[in-house]
Amino acid sequence: MDLRAGDSWGMLACLCTVLWHLPAVPALNRTGDPGPGPSIQKTYDLTRYLEHQLRSLAGTYLNYLGPPFNEPDFNPPRLSAEALPSATVNLDVWRSLNDRLRLAQNYQAYSHLLCYLRGLDRHAATAELRRSLGHFCTSLQGLLGSIAGVMAALGYPLPPQGAEPAWAPGPSHSDFLQKMDDFWLLKELQTWLWRSAKDFNRLKKKMQPSVPAVTLRLEVPASDL
Amino acid sequence: MMATPVLWACFVVLAAGVVAYAQRHSQQDTHVLYERLGSDVTLPCGTAAWDTAVTWRVNGTDLEAAHLNGSQLVLEGLDLSHSGHYACYQGSSWHLRYQALLHVGMPPREPVLTCRSNNYPKGFYCSWHLPAPTFIPNTFNVTVLHGSKLLGCEKDPAPKNRCHIRYTQLFSTVKYKVTLTVTNALGHNSTAIIFDEFTIVKPDPPENVVARPVPSSPRRLEVTWQTPSSWPDPESFPLKFFLRYRPLILDQWQHVELSDGTTHTITDAYAGKEYIIQVAAKDNEIGTWSDWSVAAHATPWTEEPRYLTTEAQAPETTTTTTTSFVPPPTTKICDPGEVGDGVGSSTGLLLTVTVTVTVTLTTIAATGLFI
Repeated sequence: MDLRAGDSWGMLACLCTVLWHLPAVPALNRTGDPGPGPSIQKTYDLTRYLEHQLRSLAGTYLNYLGPPFNEPDFNPPRLSAEALPSATVNLDVWRSLNDRLRLAQNYQAYSHLLCYLRGLDRHAATAELRRSLGHFCTSLQGLLGSIAGVMAALGYPLPPQGAEPAWAPGPSHSDFLQKMDDFWLLKELQTWLWRSAKDFNRLKKKMQPSVPAVTLRLEVPASDL
Repeated sequence: MMATPVLWACFVVLAAGVVAYAQRHSQQDTHVLYERLGSDVTLPCGTAAWDTAVTWRVNGTDLEAAHLNGSQLVLEGLDLSHSGHYACYQGSSWHLRYQALLHVGMPPREPVLTCRSNNYPKGFYCSWHLPAPTFIPNTFNVTVLHGSKLLGCEKDPAPKNRCHIRYTQLFSTVKYKVTLTVTNALGHNSTAIIFDEFTIVKPDPPENVVARPVPSSPRRLEVTWQTPSSWPDPESFPLKFFLRYRPLILDQWQHVELSDGTTHTITDAYAGKEYIIQVAAKDNEIGTWSDWSVAAHATPWTEEPRYLTTEAQAPETTTTTTTSFVPPPTTKICDPGEVGDGVGSSTGLLLTVTVTVTVTLTTIAATGLFI
């Protein structure tokens, strides 16, 4: 990663490194654990919660960026955002992913995205926006921990702490291009959350045997009717 | 030999004759004309001079001379009835000088285009229609852009205003842009829509919705349905369902959202009342709800009245899924406080009210709308 002079980028690099190592602590209490099922469910629920949170956050942030970013038909070509982890995948490839790879891809994607998101937080103007971003980052950190927990429960090693995120939009970026990067980051995040829901649903189905639905039945004695 | 020059002469004469014949008849090839509704058109009588005496015929019927300008036919303010076969004959020999098929129509207005994925993740289809008829043949051309990549949209043989696209990639951040161009002899028009992969997901309604009474349970109805057959992979892309039901006599629907399974038992049905039930489906995370399914009708089980000799029997109501007997209204005394068929104990009533979650039910019971 090309470190530029100035504290802010150094801090970003430091933060990203710290983040990279942080979720190594297993999040599960292993004593008498009922298997990875409940934690997969929890991870699934987290993706749904985050997706809901992102919807309002993205709406606010895109309005802050202003037109054309907040226009519904805005359909720009992807330029510098190739380094962003892409959720896009061939259907057959996605179907045939083994559990370890499926989890690893999710984990790596969110690690990168969280790092970039924290960079977004840095130059966000309004206090309200910074607060929303901060809240979202915390939730996303929770999701990372949850995925790490599932991987640990299944005995999979966490992805290697290899290449650090290479995407560092420097100060030489124009204001417009910076906004474009922000736009794509939010877009990719949204798509990953949709994909994760499908990923974790698939894992859930594989791990748990079909549980009969619990229905609350009122057994009123016949004489009462 | 001697025959050869004669043979050549014959050929020449024949060729000349064919050319002359062709020339004469080329004036009588049927022209095809497309003209705009409300406009004016002048049809010439082929190459005949303006002052030639001619007769015009429309679909075999002679036209009065009032429409003529010399040998030309003038049609003003075209309407649909002007469409037809026009022919011009010269002189008393009825020499056909000109014929044409006139089609009166309109250039196309901006078409209406919608795209939908009812078979996610396989692909999606786009369908279109014109908001107003053109009365003449139209051709439609659809182009699909995914980012900078051009995809082909496979046209359906029937219905012919629909085409299919297969997804090559899933979970794409790049939007799709579908452009439809409609062209006819009088003009062209186009429209385009832009959307994300996820926003157009809308399953077909659930199939085979069946509602059945539950024996010995006067307030229950068992509803079953199937996932739509067009949804290719319910295992990996599960659907959730929305069920709505009401007795025919009331307008207010009750709703239940179900995240799993294709069966549900209604436990708060009004005894003896025929119900209408519908189900809708949606992908668990993305897209929109399907349209409502075909309605199922059912009436909860009712006990056979024991005293058949003294009461007049009401005719048996026939519903699609039940054969329960509906007792005539005069045999029941309805208490506004009751929600059941028989007399309920206070505890039974309390339990029923607390378990029933919908506010509507308690409101209805309280206002005594129950007949």
